[in-house]
Amino acid sequence: MGAHVHDEPRKPKVKHDGAKKHVIAFIASLVLTALAFAAVAFEVIPAGFTVPFIVGLAFVQALFQLFFWMHMDQKGHEFARISIFAGLTFILIAIIVFVFWVWW
Amino acid sequence: MSAHASHAPKRSGIADWLTTVDHKKIGILYLIAGGIFFLAGGLEALLIRLQLMYPELQVIGAKTFNELITMHGTTMIFLAAMPVIFALMNAIVPLQIGARDVAFPFVNALGFWLFFFGGVLINTSWFLGGAPDAGWTSYATLALNQYSGFGIDFYVLGLQIAGLGTLIGGINFLVTIINMRAPGMTFMRMPLFTWASFVTSGLILFAFPAITVGLVLLMFDRLFGAAFFNPDAGGNVVIWQHLFWIFGHPEVYILILPAFGIISEVVSTFSKKRLFGYSSMVFATALIGFLGFMVWAHHMFTTGMGPIANTLFGLATMLIAVPTGIKIFNWLLTMWGGQIRFPTANLFAVGFIPTFTIGGMTGVMLAVPPADYQYHDSYFVVAHFHYVIVGGLVFGLFAGLYYWWPKMFGKMLNETIGKWNFWTFFIGFHLTFFPQHFLGLMGMPRRVFTYLAGQGLELGNFISTIGVFGMTIGTILFLVNAYVAAKSSKRAPADPWDGRTLEWSIPSPPPEYNFAQTPLVRGLDALWVEKMAGNKGMTYAEPLGSIHMPNGSFLPFIMSLGLFIAGYGFMYHNYVVVGIGMVITFGCMLMRSLKDDPGYHIEPDEIDEKGVKA
Amino acid sequence: MATHHVNAVLPDEPEKATLEGKNKILGFWLFLGGETVLFGSLFATFIALRDQTNGGPTSQQLFEMPLVALATLLLLTSSLTSVFAVLALHKKDLKKMQAWMTVTVILGLGFLALEIYEFMHYIHMGHKMTSGAFGSAFYTLVGFHGAHVAFGILWILTVQLQTVKKGLTVVTAPKFYVASLYWHFIDVVWVFIFTVVYLMGMIGGKVG
Repeated sequence: MGAHVHDEPRKPKVKHDGAKKHVIAFIASLVLTALAFAAVAFEVIPAGFTVPFIVGLAFVQALFQLFFWMHMDQKGHEFARISIFAGLTFILIAIIVFVFWVWW
Repeated sequence: MSAHASHAPKRSGIADWLTTVDHKKIGILYLIAGGIFFLAGGLEALLIRLQLMYPELQVIGAKTFNELITMHGTTMIFLAAMPVIFALMNAIVPLQIGARDVAFPFVNALGFWLFFFGGVLINTSWFLGGAPDAGWTSYATLALNQYSGFGIDFYVLGLQIAGLGTLIGGINFLVTIINMRAPGMTFMRMPLFTWASFVTSGLILFAFPAITVGLVLLMFDRLFGAAFFNPDAGGNVVIWQHLFWIFGHPEVYILILPAFGIISEVVSTFSKKRLFGYSSMVFATALIGFLGFMVWAHHMFTTGMGPIANTLFGLATMLIAVPTGIKIFNWLLTMWGGQIRFPTANLFAVGFIPTFTIGGMTGVMLAVPPADYQYHDSYFVVAHFHYVIVGGLVFGLFAGLYYWWPKMFGKMLNETIGKWNFWTFFIGFHLTFFPQHFLGLMGMPRRVFTYLAGQGLELGNFISTIGVFGMTIGTILFLVNAYVAAKSSKRAPADPWDGRTLEWSIPSPPPEYNFAQTPLVRGLDALWVEKMAGNKGMTYAEPLGSIHMPNGSFLPFIMSLGLFIAGYGFMYHNYVVVGIGMVITFGCMLMRSLKDDPGYHIEPDEIDEKGVKA
Repeated sequence: MATHHVNAVLPDEPEKATLEGKNKILGFWLFLGGETVLFGSLFATFIALRDQTNGGPTSQQLFEMPLVALATLLLLTSSLTSVFAVLALHKKDLKKMQAWMTVTVILGLGFLALEIYEFMHYIHMGHKMTSGAFGSAFYTLVGFHGAHVAFGILWILTVQLQTVKKGLTVVTAPKFYVASLYWHFIDVVWVFIFTVVYLMGMIGGKVG
């Protein structure tokens, strides 16, 4: 931030986040990924619970990346949120239907 | 970075139409192309009804009949109804929100050309070995290689290309409405047609990817030996049904919501009253759009999903009747106590209301799963969806065309011909489709090319075919009307109907920059607010200044042509042709990315001059 | 409008400084909403068909954890480097931005190479597009993602080329930003692919 104060007399309107937040998101993603892999590799949790567990981890990681890396947390992203979450809602309903009502 | 020219390279005639990025001209292109496909689809319908006029006729063979019903459905939904909706959206939405242009003029043109070439590709099947013949829903396994002809490949590739055009068109309108509104034009001041276009575009955005996936899977099965829908290799045909209807049901609302928007504008203008319950109308529109994604499996009640799925989807379907009912009552209450006039536009709007209500009520009947087991695949279903799509959407489109024709073309349509158009079409429509309810209840299945005498089906079918002549005459009268208007030298005034919204504050047709000065919107029905305040026109949000315009481009046309060529390459397994087509398309994309369009400027002195001329 | 002020001081967040830029970013987010439905439909199909091997190898026989883990690591890191590129963009540091984006492309190429190796390996084992519904669903879903990666690489390269020629302007910044959004989205999709296709395939549990 401070580095370019000289050639930028105006105060920046938007506060830019530093690299730190993104590195934390990266480490979080790594940990979540490792947890999912470990859950499958070592069968540490009951087998029936593994699928919901790793799918849950995937959603948490996806939210991390959407909000931090793709800046969906910032102002001016209202329609971005609507777009992604509406698409997600509609298709999740479809996926649930595909799980239960394709084979019978 | 080269100094931006202050004038567009002047193109004229056909080159102008091939390169235009002006939303008003693209609207006219959509109308012409959609109109031609509408005539083709209508001709197909006429042949279908002639074949069914008497029992055991042999006007056309069974095979041709299958091709005709498939192409009639496909053409009317994808190539006629949607483009005419896009025509009105293009012509009117930017004007209603006080914008000079859409957000992505280039993408807008690309969307049109993709639709156009996709539509042409599907229709060339007639001359290249037979049209698709598995119904407009193209259910697997019927649509697989073993059971269907080459025609399905045209359906699969043409709809992918046209669907891509529709998708980017939808994104363009979403961004236009979100970002390009004039100062003061808040969401809750937007005219209902703009709101409907907004929700429709959202539905396009989320529905079209599903059909794209379905078509890709079907293409892989047919062309590359994949096994998605092949039960012998572990495939499952229900997947196609789901993907098709995850798209297909929202598609119904994609079609009908713009008609709701048009009716709201027309009824309000010709009742000289503000739309009754504006905010409930907006809410109902959004709710219909949302619920539209939750109900697709009601097309699949008889597939065998079981009572739980059928109950859930049946209930969700019935819920949609609530916001739709809100709309019907709001239109009636808008007319209540108004100073109603009945030019042709309002005739179609008022004709719409009871007709659509009938279609909606049969919809609720069909939403009851046990009852649907009786109605399924009978003419009752045919009657139902023609009541909502013709009696709803097409009436709405006619209302919109009569209402906005002066704004689009600068000429008024003749009212006398218009009234004949309405009455022949309206009576013809009801004659055609009302008896079909009873034919269905008597057990006549849909998609059969003939029936036997002595089963009580003769009279209904005969009346139905007679009705088609009424609709044909009505359509021809509309063409005559358009021709007469084009030949007439009388120019339409800027505000022929004593309008309420922004598009009536500018000349007919509008100059290429729409608004010389961006208007300041001070309330719902922006122009009416100014009229009531005793002002002659809008107040402005900016002084006269130089206006930046985008340049036209051949690239959208060539880019779409590339995909058109590649489509044939896929069908004939000729990968050199696929390569050539793809190189053309991606080459154009690269050119578009690398070469900035500096556009050109229209200076204030030219505006004055042009403003007077227009 | 956009090309006017190239030599003037670049505004903060140059990607959103012009209406064109704002439109582009919003339009792209909406497109990503559509892509969510696109990939979701492919996932739904895959989940329905993943046990239909038609006598071919099953997912438990095919998938190996180290390969998937390496591919995941490559793509995840490339997503981080493209974040760094956007941070450099906000600091108007063109050199740094280009450098981080080049790293992103290299990591993406590595991912793509792994995927091609993986596909060839599977085909040798008799797992093909035509071998059964599982094969069709697998190659279509994972292949669609791979095609997105390949397109992303080409796209980023053309944008890189433009920043070399034109520098960082209010015209090139939105292009750059949008390409990085696309790249992140590809990574988000991969999170679900490694979970649903690979990890769930290795458990072999049936959903529901």
